[in-house]
Amino acid sequence: MAQAIDVKGKLRVGPSPHIRSKRTSAWVMDQVLVALIPPVIAATFFFGWWVLVMVAIGISTAVASEYLYQKLTYKPIKIHDHSAAVTGMLIALSLPVTAPIWMIMFGSVFAIVLVKQMNGGIGRNYFNPAVAARVAIKAFFTPWLANWVLPAGLFGSGYRGVDAIGTATPLEFIGNGAQRVSEQVPGLWDLFVGFNLGGNVGETSKLAILIGMLYLIFRRIINPKVPILYIVTTFVVMGLWSSFNFDFMMTHVLTGTLFFGATYMATDYSSGSLTPEGKTVFAIGCGVLTAFFRITLDHPGGVGYSILIMNALAPFIDSKLMPRIYGHKSRPQTKFDRQSENS
Amino acid sequence: MRFSFMGKHNGSHPEENKSRTSKLPIVDASVPKIMIFPVSMHIGAPAKPIVEVGDQVKVGQILAEEGGFVSAHVYSSVSGEVIAIEKRGVIGGEADSIIVKNDYKYTKADPIVEPGRSQDMSKDEIISTVRKAGIVGMGGATFPTAVKLSPPPGMTIDTLIINGAECEPYSTSDHRVMVEHADEIVSGINLSRTLFPMLKRVYIGIEDNKPDAIKALEEASAEFDDIFVRPLKTMYPQGSEKNLIKNLAGREVSPGGLPAEVRCVVANTSTIRSCYRACEFGEPLIERIVSVSGTPIKEPKNLRVKIGTPMDSLIEDCGGFAEVPGKVLGGGPMMGKPVSDLGVPIIKGTTAITVLNPEEAEIGDEQDCIMCSECINVCPVSLQPILISEAFERGNIDKAKELGAMDCIECGNCSFICPSKIPLLDNIRSAKAAIKQKEEK
Repeated sequence: MAQAIDVKGKLRVGPSPHIRSKRTSAWVMDQVLVALIPPVIAATFFFGWWVLVMVAIGISTAVASEYLYQKLTYKPIKIHDHSAAVTGMLIALSLPVTAPIWMIMFGSVFAIVLVKQMNGGIGRNYFNPAVAARVAIKAFFTPWLANWVLPAGLFGSGYRGVDAIGTATPLEFIGNGAQRVSEQVPGLWDLFVGFNLGGNVGETSKLAILIGMLYLIFRRIINPKVPILYIVTTFVVMGLWSSFNFDFMMTHVLTGTLFFGATYMATDYSSGSLTPEGKTVFAIGCGVLTAFFRITLDHPGGVGYSILIMNALAPFIDSKLMPRIYGHKSRPQTKFDRQSENS
Repeated sequence: MRFSFMGKHNGSHPEENKSRTSKLPIVDASVPKIMIFPVSMHIGAPAKPIVEVGDQVKVGQILAEEGGFVSAHVYSSVSGEVIAIEKRGVIGGEADSIIVKNDYKYTKADPIVEPGRSQDMSKDEIISTVRKAGIVGMGGATFPTAVKLSPPPGMTIDTLIINGAECEPYSTSDHRVMVEHADEIVSGINLSRTLFPMLKRVYIGIEDNKPDAIKALEEASAEFDDIFVRPLKTMYPQGSEKNLIKNLAGREVSPGGLPAEVRCVVANTSTIRSCYRACEFGEPLIERIVSVSGTPIKEPKNLRVKIGTPMDSLIEDCGGFAEVPGKVLGGGPMMGKPVSDLGVPIIKGTTAITVLNPEEAEIGDEQDCIMCSECINVCPVSLQPILISEAFERGNIDKAKELGAMDCIECGNCSFICPSKIPLLDNIRSAKAAIKQKEEK
């Protein structure tokens, strides 16, 4: 009895495994974009529709500069992995609503061309492009950044670069040697939700970021220990510094870039640690450094510096903490090096 | 996709796809006119044919004798005439094969030992019977069981692990053996008490997606205090020998070492059952259970198959294909071997036939690594697959070796999980081959 379907010459061969998980790199990046939607909604609600323009500028500049760079250097075009879009979105969200358009564009180009592509492209860059860009912007353009602009609401005016009223950031009241929360600082609930709170547009609502974080954790995109250990470490170090003044500790956790950085930046794949134990050290290191910078510096930016420093240390951490292979007595003794260029 | 809070979990969760066959009782497969018996159904030296073209053979008559210490006899599973001895396609390549034309009389040869006295057998008798029966690891490894049951001098065995994990998706043959023949598995375990006088405990490891198998073995082993049925988390590759030893006995085998060095022996459920049947009934290994499943299969089944039956006969037993298959595998989708021709025979280690449709067999285009570290999280032996793969691609063989390439058990988790579809296992296999080549120089 012949088979109804003739399979001769139709069967594929090829080595095991014969099935693949459904997730793709582009899907993973898409999940990060999805996880950034709550902060975008919160930012739009608090700071106005201009936020959407900022995000659009960030994404389009980042994707365009990646495309142009790859085109001009005769490399395969890889914008379809959606990683450039993530970087552009992060940059837009980590600037205040007063940031001029050229600044968002500068940040995106800087991140994609200098930090990402010129260091080997996706998966190869040692520094987080978005973090490096925002630290660079802070270093070069502080005069243009009125950091602490109070929100104007959903239908508030658009770009308010000229007439915005800048005030001090809460970090100036609780950082730089302070050990107690002064009265100028908003209450914890306001800090958490982002009510009446100025700052970089995507970072003010910790509630929105928390939703994004939980999404990434339950989608298994990020390892939960990175954001959790990062935030908890800062919390604990601030406790040691303030003799466990709970208000002071919580205010630090809910202020500045900590939540945003711990969720979307310290969890970056290429610039973070690769090994499971390395991730633990990486996150704790970020937390300790952030607390240190907040205590010692008289200006904000500690989260950015901390992540960049830990980015630089990540390959070293990984080389010391490679997992012990089954049946072996010690960890593999070899240098941890990542190829600098994608083929 | 399940959620793991710790990140590193040493395993993955491919879709199980077992529900189409897991509840189906084992049924007899039909036996075709032409049966094919490759002389190499095991790891080690091929068996040497002792019949000639034109010879009449009986069921259970030896066709080819073991070709060395690490080798196994090959028996006929039907009676009839030897019509050819020639190279034939087999799962994973080709091999000299003895072709027997079935006369459908099923004339039986004498049993290999006198039936009914397995309980009185001495250690040496049991081992020689297992050897005589041509039993090899039936979970797919096909290592001659008699060799495994004779640990090198100076090594004592205190722990026997029965592998009923069956972690490969689609496969349900061990599952059905455990449900329907739990008593024979336990009888096989009891034979091992003679083999290993220092035996302290027996673990039967079964993934928790098979509660009926767990229950059946718990009942069958209830009167023995030293037999522990241990449910294992359903996770691939829970049934790897190294991981079973770690998870059940809490020991780790050193690189390149034998389980015996940590006082363990691991045997598959079907293997231990065959050992019992060989000693008790004098049956050589001429039959096994094969599950046939996969999306294109019309009516998936668990079949009692005479070894030597070509695959297409079994697929026909299962109603044939409902759609054009993309890949047909001897074994499961994670470690099985693809076949290009359905005329290849079922051999001693064929646990399952898994058929994937073209869509399921799609591998996807390779992208750049995004350093997500998933391959590290799922590696059962804690390797860093991406680093080995990259070291190999750079031509740095020494680095691949330092990173532990030789410890890879080739379970395929890294390639499976990679979102960038990097052929990690292919690269690691190539690295292993290059390391071996370099060391031989």
